Amino acid sequence: MDKLAHPGLVRIAGIVIGLVFVFAGLGKIGDIAMFAAQVHNFRLTPVALENLVAMTLPWVELVAGTALILGARRRAAAWICAALMIVFTLSVGQAAARGLDFECGCFGKGDASRVGLQKLFENIGLTVVALVATLQRRR
Amino acid sequence: MKSDSLVADIALLVTLGVALGVGYNALGLRGADGWGLAWKGVPLIETLGDEVKAVEQDAAPRGPVSDDPLAPPPAATQAIPVIEDYGRPVEIGLQAVKQLYDAGAVLFIDAREDWEFAEGHIPGAINLPYEQAITDPARCEQVEQGGKPIVTYCGGGSCEISISVAWELLGVGKTRVAVYMGGFPEWEQAGFPVEKKTEDS
Repeated sequence: MDKLAHPGLVRIAGIVIGLVFVFAGLGKIGDIAMFAAQVHNFRLTPVALENLVAMTLPWVELVAGTALILGARRRAAAWICAALMIVFTLSVGQAAARGLDFECGCFGKGDASRVGLQKLFENIGLTVVALVATLQRRR
Repeated sequence: MKSDSLVADIALLVTLGVALGVGYNALGLRGADGWGLAWKGVPLIETLGDEVKAVEQDAAPRGPVSDDPLAPPPAATQAIPVIEDYGRPVEIGLQAVKQLYDAGAVLFIDAREDWEFAEGHIPGAINLPYEQAITDPARCEQVEQGGKPIVTYCGGGSCEISISVAWELLGVGKTRVAVYMGGFPEWEQAGFPVEKKTEDS
């Protein structure tokens, strides 16, 4: 664990996950209507809340990603990313398990990747990276 | 202490993100294309109820419904509800559904399971079970609309699968799709015709 908490590694993990979140956030903000429809596709949110999720989630991603890249409030931003990655992974997992097949909307418009096993593994990988970014060497 | 500031930082970042999102939306995204931009819930469907825009029989023919050669001429004062292309499903009520049925100007899609369909359905309806519709878009594409609007229905009550099927149909390029939320139970209870066990899909 101490090795994983090497400051350089943690920093790189933070920048990688930060970039992913910034791109994902911007992609969604670019076409909120489409993202709202995709939130609906997951069938996890009450219909009344789908829009609020669609309009705020990408911005939380963007803010957390930017903070991670800049290194400001780094651990908090990393925990947000990790928590979101876990939520995303579970969402994709449940959708795949239910046999739903749709574009995941993970990166907004133009991201034609579909919900499925590959997406699930991608997400698990990113979750691990995000968790590494949350680490802090014990002092 | 350390974790306190961590929690505070997390709250700060999340609040900032939410505020930016809400602010950005307030600045102008509302009213853009698509159905997902109103503040509070987007109702899945807009209700046309029995107040569906109606075309009086003697009005100039307008809209594909009145062009339908299969539709018998309606009674002098009877109006046929018109389901236009709204880009999203609309809800229609029992009375409007019955008028469309009487005029033969609609394609019914039954979103329930095949065994429920076999036990009774609106005559002429096609069975397109929800599970098949969402996992196999080809099933939706195969639906032959024949120039008529589509009305989906299911088991009534809080049953939402008819709405989901309606969205799926729109997703594969069908237009003028309405949802009859009362569903089969309401139809049957009203004493309207019921068909049993016709293989149709």
